[in-house]
Amino acid sequence: MAGSIKAPSPPRWLLAELTYACPLQCPYCSNPLDYANIKGELSTDDWKRVLKQSREMGAVQLGFSGGEPLVRKDLVELVNYSHELGYYTNLITSGYNMDEAKIIALKNAGLDHIQISLQASSKELNDFIAGTESFEQKKQVAKLIKKNDYPMVLCVVLHRQNIHQMKDMLDMAIELGADFVELANTQYYGWAQHNRDQLLPTHEQLKTAEAIANEYQETQKGKMKIYYVVPDYYEGRPKACMNGWGTTFLTISPDGLALPCHSARQLPNFDCPSVNEHSISDIWNESKAFNYFRGDGWMKEPCRSCPEKDKDFGGCHCQAFLLTGDATNTDPVCDLSPLHHTVTDAIEKAVQTNESALTFRNSKNSQLLKK
Amino acid sequence: MSLQTDQAIKLSSGYRLQWEEAQQMFVLLYPEGLIELNQSSAEILQLCDGQHKLADIVQTLETKFSTTGLENDIVSFLTIALDNGWINQSA
Repeated sequence: MAGSIKAPSPPRWLLAELTYACPLQCPYCSNPLDYANIKGELSTDDWKRVLKQSREMGAVQLGFSGGEPLVRKDLVELVNYSHELGYYTNLITSGYNMDEAKIIALKNAGLDHIQISLQASSKELNDFIAGTESFEQKKQVAKLIKKNDYPMVLCVVLHRQNIHQMKDMLDMAIELGADFVELANTQYYGWAQHNRDQLLPTHEQLKTAEAIANEYQETQKGKMKIYYVVPDYYEGRPKACMNGWGTTFLTISPDGLALPCHSARQLPNFDCPSVNEHSISDIWNESKAFNYFRGDGWMKEPCRSCPEKDKDFGGCHCQAFLLTGDATNTDPVCDLSPLHHTVTDAIEKAVQTNESALTFRNSKNSQLLKK
Repeated sequence: MSLQTDQAIKLSSGYRLQWEEAQQMFVLLYPEGLIELNQSSAEILQLCDGQHKLADIVQTLETKFSTTGLENDIVSFLTIALDNGWINQSA
């Protein structure tokens, strides 16, 4: 497929997925369903090489994610190395098994910010969704994060089973002293896609939740910033996924695959390059995977002649693949897509599903679900 | 919340202004966010160090660039910065 002719813009965002290991079992996890079969985590030295090469390319925002990044024994060392390279370092964590000594050690290493997740505003629902008793500890850790003077983002992933707690969740965020709240509607990849019938909210639920978010955005102005991430299944137009493929974001998986977005490894026959074999510069500038959806040479109709193609870049290619079987199709979230019915059918099927049995994200289920 | 003339201006907690060699520009960094700054925005934010009030910033930049009449542009940029929470003020 045609790539762009211009030299690509440099990566600015590096997402370092340090490990797939996680003590929680959230059924909307974006990690691949077969994560339990993926072996061979990068070593500390591998990560340092990736961090240095990415920084030289221009990456400046750095997220340590996973799985649960706290599982990695070298986290403090990697934070310290990244800080010295000049990154703005973000830790994206469940907060589970975090204590004040670790919070202070990370601060001393130069960690700039901590994003902590909560699964719900009540202990019962939080611990059910997380698959692990963690609510009280998470709240305690959130307070310690603020006590130690970090900026804190509180992240709650929204779905049918917790979206009715919107008001309580925002009140809890205020109580915990969050500087930013990310209310992120589930995006349907990985485990979330598998559990979609149990997770997709109704349109009515969303309208109610959005109104509450808007109200708090007004009353919290200047105090707590609230980001509300819309659920794209209910939008008429697709999201500008990853700010455009291969323009801004670089994700490195625990085993060293370089991905233009964190779901890209599920695209078939895509051959995402490995940092064990290539430099970041070669990967970003030269690899087939990163050039694949750059520019608009890959587009079919209705994207190709669409006046909005420079705004949403055809939407999300992983979603196009998951719903239509072809990543080069228009993201079917777009109501101009001839396959838009794959989205409306999914909504109809989900809202008629009363069964609430979720498949939790753990190694046993991952083994059972392997391709 | 509006811009006060009698209070010093500083970057908000968790925000960092940084020169990026690869892109040859200043960027403003904050939790999970990045703003690429043009030269004039970067000049103003570099003076938001908790020491300078509005009048000091205007005077410093007018002297630096041997010009006058920068106040309106500086006020409108600082108002946006304040509304977005990039900066705050203390007496």
